[in-house]
Amino acid sequence: MALVHKLLNGTYILRKCPKPGVASCPFLSTRFADYCSSSLEKPVAAPGKAPSQRKTEGNLEGHHQREVALDITSPEDKPEVSFDKAIKEEIKDHFRRLKDDIVNHWIGPEGRPLHEVLMEQAKVVWQFRGKEDLDKWIVTSDKTIGGRSEVFLKMGRNNQSALLYGTLSSEAPQDGESGRSGYCAMISKIPTGPFERKRFYDWSQFNTLYLRVRGDGRPWMVNIREDTDIIQRKDQMYSYFMFTRGGPYWQEVKIPFSKFFFSNRGRIRDAQYKLLLDKISSIGFTLADKVDGPFFLEIDFIGVFTDPAHTEEFAYENSPELNPRLFK
Amino acid sequence: MRLLRLREVKPFSQGHAASHQLGWNWTPHLSLSPKRLKILAASLSCCGCPTGKGMSWAQAILLARGLSRGWGGICSTALTGAPFSQVTPQAPRGLHCSTAAHQPDSPLVPRPPEPQRGLVKALAPHEELFRQAPDGVRDKASFVQAVQNFTQYNVHKRGHVDFIYLALRKMREYGVERDLAIYNLLLDIFPKEVFRPRNIFHSIFLHYPRQQECGIAVLEQMENHGVMPNKETEFLLTQIFGRKSYPMLKFVRMKLWFTRFKNINPFPVPRDLPQDPVDLARLALRHMEPDLSARVTVYQMPLSKDSTDATDPTEPHIIGIQSPDQQAALAHHDPARPIFVEGPFSLWLRDKCVYYHILRADLLPPEEREKGSLKPPSLAWKGCGLEGAAPVPTAQTEGLSLLTVEEGPVFAICMAGAHDQATLAKWIQGLQETNPTLARIPVVFRLSASSGELLASSSGLEEPPLTPPEGREEEENNQQRQQQSQS
Repeated sequence: MALVHKLLNGTYILRKCPKPGVASCPFLSTRFADYCSSSLEKPVAAPGKAPSQRKTEGNLEGHHQREVALDITSPEDKPEVSFDKAIKEEIKDHFRRLKDDIVNHWIGPEGRPLHEVLMEQAKVVWQFRGKEDLDKWIVTSDKTIGGRSEVFLKMGRNNQSALLYGTLSSEAPQDGESGRSGYCAMISKIPTGPFERKRFYDWSQFNTLYLRVRGDGRPWMVNIREDTDIIQRKDQMYSYFMFTRGGPYWQEVKIPFSKFFFSNRGRIRDAQYKLLLDKISSIGFTLADKVDGPFFLEIDFIGVFTDPAHTEEFAYENSPELNPRLFK
Repeated sequence: MRLLRLREVKPFSQGHAASHQLGWNWTPHLSLSPKRLKILAASLSCCGCPTGKGMSWAQAILLARGLSRGWGGICSTALTGAPFSQVTPQAPRGLHCSTAAHQPDSPLVPRPPEPQRGLVKALAPHEELFRQAPDGVRDKASFVQAVQNFTQYNVHKRGHVDFIYLALRKMREYGVERDLAIYNLLLDIFPKEVFRPRNIFHSIFLHYPRQQECGIAVLEQMENHGVMPNKETEFLLTQIFGRKSYPMLKFVRMKLWFTRFKNINPFPVPRDLPQDPVDLARLALRHMEPDLSARVTVYQMPLSKDSTDATDPTEPHIIGIQSPDQQAALAHHDPARPIFVEGPFSLWLRDKCVYYHILRADLLPPEEREKGSLKPPSLAWKGCGLEGAAPVPTAQTEGLSLLTVEEGPVFAICMAGAHDQATLAKWIQGLQETNPTLARIPVVFRLSASSGELLASSSGLEEPPLTPPEGREEEENNQQRQQQSQS
C-alpha cells in the first residue's frame, strides 16, 4: 500500500469532527431521543457513531487511524526500503487486477461461470487461515473517544481461526460529553477492486448468515452496512444480536437476514426496512454489554447460505402508533 | 464559541449529567443573593480584560449558572478567563480583576475538599439528602426516605430536575437500579400537569425542554438496566408531559422494542445468579454443555466457613460434568496417547466471570482415524468436537462444513475453586470412578500461568513454550501412573 501511503500521508480524521449534528445544536445531546429514532438496550449512542465513521466515502484512511496501532496483527513488518520500487510494483499490481477484472467480466459474475453462481447455496465469505486474512479486518474500541477498552486480533490456535480478545472498560471518558462508554468492534474492510475502487458483496441469493464462533458467553452484535455508493448513508446499519454460549465447543450461529433491524447513528429507527442484500459493504461485530472485564471471541469462518426452511421476509412490522405516516 | 467554554471544563466525577447541570439545567428561578450579585459583578468586570473580548449577556447568564451550581474554585478560574487547559487555582489575573472572585465563599458555595485527598468533588445541590445516614445501610428504604425528604422539604419542588439527576446517579450505590417502583417514584417527583403542552405553540416548540430531557434520562436509565416500564409509568408520563411529548415517545418505543427482543437469547441466563459457588458452577456447566443427558457431579464440596475464609478454602469445590457420549469416547480412547487438562478458560454469565477446565485429547492424525467406529453425533449438536468423524452436514451447509476447524474431542468439563494442579488432580481421580479406563491413560496438565488469563494465552500456547513445562509434566505423568498403579 505504498501508493496509498504517499497519496494520503498525513490525513487524520479526528473522532469528534464529523459530528456536526451534536455540536451545533446545543439542545440535542447524545442522550436526547432523536425525532425518528429510539435507543437500544445495548449499543451506546455516541460510540455507535465511531464505527460508522470509518466508512466515509472511498475510505482508505482507515489504515492511518489510531486504531491500527491497536491491531497487533503484524508487529514484525519491516518498513519498505524503497518507496519508488514499491509504487511501481503497486501500479503493476493494479493494472493486473484491472485486466483480470475485465477478463472475469466475460466469464461471469466475479469471475465464475453464471451457472455456478446461480446454483450456489452456500458461500464462505471470510475465513481465517493466515495473516492476510486478518488484514481484511479493522478492530476499534472506545479508545478513539478516550475510553479504556482494548481489543486485539490475532490468529488462533494452529492458524485455524481468528481470536479477537481484549478488555472492556465502561469507564466513561472525562471529556464532558460522553456519559457512557465501553465498546469494542471488529469491522471488515470494504472490498476494493483495481485502483482501490469500492466494491460490494452481492448476497441476493442467500438468506442466512452463518458464523462458526466460540465465545465466552457474552452477547455480541452483528452489524451489516450497505454500500454507500449512490447515497451517502454512512451512519446507517442493520444489526442483530449474536449470543455466544461459552464453553469449549464451537457454536454455529445462523442469523437470517430478515432479522436485522435498521438503525441510524446508533439508535433504532422507528421506520424499519428490510436489509437488501445486493450491495453489502461490510460486516462487523461489536461488544458493548456494559460489563467490565476481559473477553474473547474465536471465529472460524463467516459464510452465507440459503436456508429453504426460512420463509420470513422481514421480522419487524411498522407500528401505526410510531409511524402514522407510513399508514396513511 | 463562547457557549462551549463552560462545557469544556471537565466535570471531575460527575460524567454526563453534570455537563447538563452546568450549562443546561437550571430552574427558571435564579435567586441571587446580594453577595452573589457582587461576585457576579466582579467577575463580569474582570472577565473581559485578559482576553480582550467583550462579555455577552448569554455568557453572563452562564457564569451565573455556574456560580449557582457551586463549582467553587473551578468557577473562579473560569471567571478569570484563563485557558482551560491550564486550569489552576492561581490563574493569571488581569490588572482590573478584583480579588472578590477568588474569595472562598463558604456559605454560598460549598468548598470542595483539598486536592491532596484525591479527586476533587463538587457537591451537588441536594446531595445532603442522601447523606442523612452515613453509617446507615444504603438500601431501598433509605433511598425512598431521601426522596420523600426532598418532596417534603420543598412544596414547589424547586430544583427537582437536578435532584432527579442526582438520584439517578445514586441509584447504583443503593442497589435499586433495577427496581421499577423506584423509577416510578422518581417520575412522581415531577409536578403534574404543568409541563403538558396546551396549545399549538407549546407543541411546536419543545415545551419545558430540560424537564423533558430529564424524563428521558429516567427512561434511558431504565432501558440501560433492562427494566420494563408498566402502566403506572405510562400514566405518570401522560400526567406530567402529555401524550405527545418525547418521554412518551420513548416509552412507546421501549414498549415495542423490549417486547420484541425479550426472548431472543437462545441461551438465557437467569437474572439473579446464585451466590453459592457450587450452584453457580452447576448452572454454568449446564449452560455450557449442550447435551441434556450429561450428568453433573460434585467431587468436592467447599469446607464450611467457620474457620477458613470462603474465598480461599483449603478444600475448594470441584464440580464436573460429563455426558454418556463423552464417557463412551473416553472408554475408546487409546491409552498410548495422552490426554490433556487445559485451562482455565473464562465464561461470562451476565456479569460474573467463572473459570473452567476441560479434559481433551488431541486430534488423531487422518490416517489413524476410523470412520464409523463412534456413532456420529446428532444433528442438533454439530460442533461438539467429539469425534474422528466429521460433523454431519446438511445439503445447504455442506460447502461450509468442509471448512470447519477440527479439534480434538472434549471428554469432560469441570469448575473448581482453585486452578492449581492439585485440585485438578483430585478431579481426575474423581473422574476415574466413572471412567475406569482413565487410570491407564497418561494425563498431562496444560495450565496457563495465572488463573485470570484469557483463552488467548492458553490456546495461543504454541509448542515451544510448552516444552519447559512439559518437562515438569512428564514427572507428573509418572507420578500419576504411580498413583494409579498403587490405587
